[in-house]
Amino acid sequence: MAAQEGTQESRLGFSLGTDHISFDLDETVYSIEALYGASYLFLEKCFIYLSRPTAGTVTVRLTSREAISPADLDNLAGEFANELLSQVARLRLSQATARIREYYTAAALRAAASAPSVDDLLAELEAEELLEDPLEIMVPWEEKHGAKENETEPK
Amino acid sequence: MSDRITFDRTLYWLEAVEAAAAAYAEHARIELTSTPDTVVAVISDVLEYEPQLVANAFSNHVLHETIARRRQATLDEAG
Repeated sequence: MAAQEGTQESRLGFSLGTDHISFDLDETVYSIEALYGASYLFLEKCFIYLSRPTAGTVTVRLTSREAISPADLDNLAGEFANELLSQVARLRLSQATARIREYYTAAALRAAASAPSVDDLLAELEAEELLEDPLEIMVPWEEKHGAKENETEPK
Repeated sequence: MSDRITFDRTLYWLEAVEAAAAAYAEHARIELTSTPDTVVAVISDVLEYEPQLVANAFSNHVLHETIARRRQATLDEAG
């Protein structure tokens, strides 16, 4: 990022005009995608105009929507620059983890495709013979142990 | 009196400039001239608002249209 020649330089090194502030970006550092990302977030705050003075360089000019002090213009440009860095970091992280995300998405889709549906589960339950009672859980105690209980009753 | 804004076509899409010009037709007269590298918008006969404000707002609108169209194109490619 660099201030343009022939204009007043702000505290943060940007080119300061009466109602606008501008700076040059090196496209090898700040990609167009990152610039668009930051610009999109600042369209509500100020007017943004992009130009290309030379190949590989983009000039960003931010114009305040209302009359503000040079210090506030400087802050605006500083916030924009911070957002730009954040967008660059986010994009690089996104690119670096793209394959991992693709893998997990594919794995989740495979698992979802092979998982049985609710209808399948209900059909499976119906198919099972629920009335089978090999442990005789449903048999009353008296029927199973009636004789022994009678013997132990107090007289 | 007219304002002249040059949009670099590596930064702004022609379709976005045209869409913004159509959107601002009720506020001003906007004439577009395109070359392989640039699109020049000449804004004149501004009604109701301050000409500089309309020029700035028009620039913002073009940028917004460009970003939105780029994102949509990326989604279309991925989908």
